[in-house]
Amino acid sequence: MLDKILYNTILCQTFSPCGKYLVAGNIYGQLAVFDLDRILNPVIELLTSDYNKPKQIHKIESGKQICSLITTDSFLIIGTINEITGWDWKAVTSGKWSKPAWTITIPVKSSMEQSDVNSLWLSEDEIKLFAGCGDNNIYAFNLEDGRLVTTYEGHSDYIHSIHGKSQQLISAGEDGLVLLWDERTGKSHSRLEPHANSKVSRPDIGKWVGAATLGDDWIVCGGGPRLSLWHLRSLDPVTAFDIADHGVHVAFFHDDCIVAGGASKHLYQLSYSGEVRVELPVSATTVYSAAMKTNPKVLAIAGSSSEIDLCTTFNYRDQVLHFR
Amino acid sequence: MGKDEVSVKKRRKLNTAATSDTTKQPPVDVYKRVVDFEEAEALSRPADKDANLFKKICQDIRQHFADISELKDKNSDEAKEKINSKRVEASLMLVALKKLNRLEKVRTRAGRDALHKEKQRVDSTHLQLQNLLYEADHLNKEVTKCLQFKSKDEEIELVPIDDFYKDAPADVSRPEITKKDEHQLQLARLEWELRQRRDLAGACSELVSSKERVGAAIAAARSRLDALGPHLNDVLKATKPLQECLALRLDEKRDESRAASLLPPPLFLLYANASAYSDALGVKTVTVGISGDEDEARRLEQVNNVDNGLVLSNDSDSDHDNNDDDQQKKKRHHRTAKVSKEEKTAAKKKEVLRKHPLNVQVSVKAQDGTALNLVFSYLLHLKVVVVKFTVSLPKPVTGVSAADVLNGHCILNELYPGDAGNDSPHPATSYLLQAAGISDDFPHFIPEVGKPYIWAQRMCGLDFMALVVDEKKTNKVIQPCPSLSVSTVEHFILTLKNRLKSRVALMKELQELESGKIVPVKGSPVRLSGSLTQWQSVGWPEYSQAPSTTFLISEGLVNSNDMLYRAIITRQSAKLVALVVLKSDYPKSAPIFSLTLFWNGTHHAGIDDDIRDIERVINTDWSLEDKQPSLTTQMTKLLTCLDILLETTGTSEFPPDKVMFQPVRGRNRVKPYKFIKQGNGIFVQY
Repeated sequence: MLDKILYNTILCQTFSPCGKYLVAGNIYGQLAVFDLDRILNPVIELLTSDYNKPKQIHKIESGKQICSLITTDSFLIIGTINEITGWDWKAVTSGKWSKPAWTITIPVKSSMEQSDVNSLWLSEDEIKLFAGCGDNNIYAFNLEDGRLVTTYEGHSDYIHSIHGKSQQLISAGEDGLVLLWDERTGKSHSRLEPHANSKVSRPDIGKWVGAATLGDDWIVCGGGPRLSLWHLRSLDPVTAFDIADHGVHVAFFHDDCIVAGGASKHLYQLSYSGEVRVELPVSATTVYSAAMKTNPKVLAIAGSSSEIDLCTTFNYRDQVLHFR
Repeated sequence: MGKDEVSVKKRRKLNTAATSDTTKQPPVDVYKRVVDFEEAEALSRPADKDANLFKKICQDIRQHFADISELKDKNSDEAKEKINSKRVEASLMLVALKKLNRLEKVRTRAGRDALHKEKQRVDSTHLQLQNLLYEADHLNKEVTKCLQFKSKDEEIELVPIDDFYKDAPADVSRPEITKKDEHQLQLARLEWELRQRRDLAGACSELVSSKERVGAAIAAARSRLDALGPHLNDVLKATKPLQECLALRLDEKRDESRAASLLPPPLFLLYANASAYSDALGVKTVTVGISGDEDEARRLEQVNNVDNGLVLSNDSDSDHDNNDDDQQKKKRHHRTAKVSKEEKTAAKKKEVLRKHPLNVQVSVKAQDGTALNLVFSYLLHLKVVVVKFTVSLPKPVTGVSAADVLNGHCILNELYPGDAGNDSPHPATSYLLQAAGISDDFPHFIPEVGKPYIWAQRMCGLDFMALVVDEKKTNKVIQPCPSLSVSTVEHFILTLKNRLKSRVALMKELQELESGKIVPVKGSPVRLSGSLTQWQSVGWPEYSQAPSTTFLISEGLVNSNDMLYRAIITRQSAKLVALVVLKSDYPKSAPIFSLTLFWNGTHHAGIDDDIRDIERVINTDWSLEDKQPSLTTQMTKLLTCLDILLETTGTSEFPPDKVMFQPVRGRNRVKPYKFIKQGNGIFVQY
């Protein structure tokens, strides 16, 4: 019998507010804390063979998979199954890992039903926490008191990812829909159906949408259907990107570029017109998370592998971290 | 002249009468007499007075000169006369001065002589002193030498004083004298010692003679016993018909134990322990026997005994070898050089790899009659035990890969972790081979002689690890350790029985698999739609070249020693190729699967997460299962997973047949591979 960590899958990553630590969560409910300072600026004399291993591996009590991570100034927020927990950053980085600072339970209808917190998003003022869940709903919680503020109902299958910008919220679901919501009213005002568009649909992979992100005037989304760029106001597909993938799980804007990855050998950086700017080879079979941070520039790519690829220039793979 | 006479007169007045005497002496060596006289005179007169006289005369002369000069100034005749008289007087005074001067000279010489004499006296005294000192020193040395002298009696160990007074009779000890006089005490003790030693020597010789008497008696008894042997043999012969009649194995046992006495020590230990074990557990489990050339063994033992009797070192061996070589050389004279060289190395190799003519056969049986026969042989020169083996089966095995599982090579492989038996465990082997001029390593000969498993050495009580630890202290010859052998034999037989049992079970499993059957696991109501269409063993090259196995190989989880199989499972148009690794210690460690799915393209764990998920489920997810993972349960699980994967694709080719809550779940779109017994059984993700 093999060690299950050999088949590790990392679903989410985030950086600490100070930027010194990279935190990654896997499907076994383990949380790895990497000391980026030590990894990126190593002191040669103190360099040990395990420098690219986690500084700490915490295990959350329930052992349920860690579906999503997000960070505020003082808390690391972990989305698992049925539950969102907040952890003091000091406890996470110092190793005094015991109990969460706070817990929000997702309201589920029956005890049998389990709702994965697949995606977390924080409003720009860090007051509201949005959670895209496995029970087809998006919930907005008040971070001050943990109260459920709004429930966004509209998807008919579970939510893959959520994102938002200037009072608008976008969600991508297994049902193949990309919905745009008004953050305040909780109503969906427009929708995209990429699988219904012949330019982007790929029926052999499926109709699910793995990622959707809002830009100033644009939406980028992809999943079973091709990665595609949509105009926000007209909701028309502008570009269908031609990249070699079997499903998109990560797509976001960065500096006039679109960063996208998934079941593919590479993580792509693309221009809006569809040119491939950078092709980053990745260790993971499928990329589920690409965490990006400027100043200093770090891009961490993780997925179904125990390795995390680290790029400091966004252009090539500098280092490989081992989550094991 | 008249003036002169006056002065002479004056002198005569001054001088003693002796002067006149000398002049009167006949002129026989006058000069000498003058000298003698003057010397005597010089000594008799005090020197200081002469000095004063000298000064006075000098004064007078000066006065005379002054007078003369005064008179000369007057320049009268009277004056002239006076001058003349004065001149004479002054001249006489000069004579007196001369005399005084001579006297002084004589005196000085006399003083010098006296000084010289004194010096000589001092020197001689000094010399005498030196001599005396030297003598004293020498005497001192002699004294210390005497003091340091050790008498012979001090080396003799004496009876302590207390015992001496206690034991010695009064006429020897004489306490009244010896208590005061230490010398007497010593003498008395020495006397006592001598007396006692004489007594003991007498006792000793008496004992020796009695020992000889006993020895003679023993020899006589032995010769009587020897004479008894043939009689007993006759009796034994006479009992043979009776034994046969009663079906007793007495003779066989006797033969075997006789052969056992000829075994080399390690094999004897093995034989003794294994046969004890077999007696205890019954012949059904373990049987032990000895086979080989007994006469040869007896000859070998005799040679060894002679060697040991002559010299207890390796020299005898090497001499022997040299003689052999010489003889061989003589024989070879007629042949060509090349042939002889080849033959020589061959002979050397044969000599180094020589086995003891006897070997021990241990056969371990499993319950169904499958037996493993192990032949243990001892390499005389390399001093290691090697094992060869055969497997006997109650009924022939169908299927190629199933039979492989039970062949000796892999059944004994890694019986204990890391013990593949591919190299000699004895650290000295390579040196011995080199010394014998053989360039090949020991592993080169393994197919020929058998495998030197470490457990085999331990069963024979040889522990080379202990030797390595001890090596620095003493380079002793390894002695078989009985306790090690006892503990190892039991453990080994149990381990081997377990291994055999698990292998027989595995063979049955493989037989089933090879015929395409998968025995359904009890309590699993799931209907399996796929079918196993092929099961065969594959070689390492094929295995290592498959893209699905790169991950396992790079992690070092699989190596070429493991048993490798390929299973092909088909369901309609989908074909799943599973490369399966069975470790030697199966079922302790579970088989490892690597999968490749051919349906809608090629999928394996390196490029497809679904396949990776299935591999995770099959290779790692056993924590929730109660029972040990076995090949069959894993195969069942694999078929179930394949069904689920195909059914969740939602194509019409694979209609959903199993109950599941959600066909996919989570961002990683996991399929529900986990089975929960609820109602008819539900498949869930977690």
